[in-house]
Amino acid sequence: MIEVDPGLCIGCRSCSNVCPSQNILRTDSGEARRILWKRCREECDLCVEFCPAKALTLVPIDESVPEPELSFDLVACRICGSRYATEPMLSRIEAALPSDSRRDPEGAEWIRACPPCRRRAEAERAAEETVAARRRRRG
Amino acid sequence: MAVHVDIDRCIGCRSCEVACQRVHGGSCHVRVHFVGGIASVPIFCHHCEEASCIIACSFGALFKEGDRTAFDVEKCTGCGLCSLACPFGIVWTDKIAEKCDLCDGRPEPTCVATCPADALSADGEAAPRGGQVRAGRSASSGGTR
Repeated sequence: MIEVDPGLCIGCRSCSNVCPSQNILRTDSGEARRILWKRCREECDLCVEFCPAKALTLVPIDESVPEPELSFDLVACRICGSRYATEPMLSRIEAALPSDSRRDPEGAEWIRACPPCRRRAEAERAAEETVAARRRRRG
Repeated sequence: MAVHVDIDRCIGCRSCEVACQRVHGGSCHVRVHFVGGIASVPIFCHHCEEASCIIACSFGALFKEGDRTAFDVEKCTGCGLCSLACPFGIVWTDKIAEKCDLCDGRPEPTCVATCPADALSADGEAAPRGGQVRAGRSASSGGTR
């Protein structure tokens, strides 16, 4: 069966995606993501191999040990408020990126905005540039 | 290498989205955004020089291949970190990640070939006109906006 280190798990979708037996259940409901690792008897270690956080290990089956289950609050987009990521996923990315790329020129953290809001912000910026260029051309 | 957008020419018809879907099995890797009734802006993958999505991927599923930010579907676990690491929100993850591949294997990106308003071009093509915005602009210096 699978043992989970709750201090390492980032609540991503790897293990639930790669499990060929649907023994790892991930549910996003409203403000939280829950992951349940069912008592697995397969001779398979795909989830362990493909955990980006190295949070999983295979241990001998023990019926007295409850099935591991973790719950992660989903972070709200700072612009639209939609829930789009777990905090450990965002923190991991923040730590991995070069410090100068974490903030945009206004100092706002783009990483705290959901992907659709990031696209909208980029479109607005590009549109502003275009309008400014039109004005310059017209003198 | 990236797709250039001439926003002055874009008519917001979303042909680029349809073209992308047509050659990617129904997945679309470009989104046209409409800004305040003054402009339509297709947002593309910037194929950043130091791409955040590559930094975020633990399994080498995203990598540089020449100027392109390429994607190896066989290595992707669908964890979703690349989607969250993209400053432009232009990498998606459903079961696996999806992003612009610049129509690898085709003579030019299908969106560029399809655009009826001639608003799109690949690097090295027609000289920039006034108002032309390079899609890959500042991302090449690390993904900042």
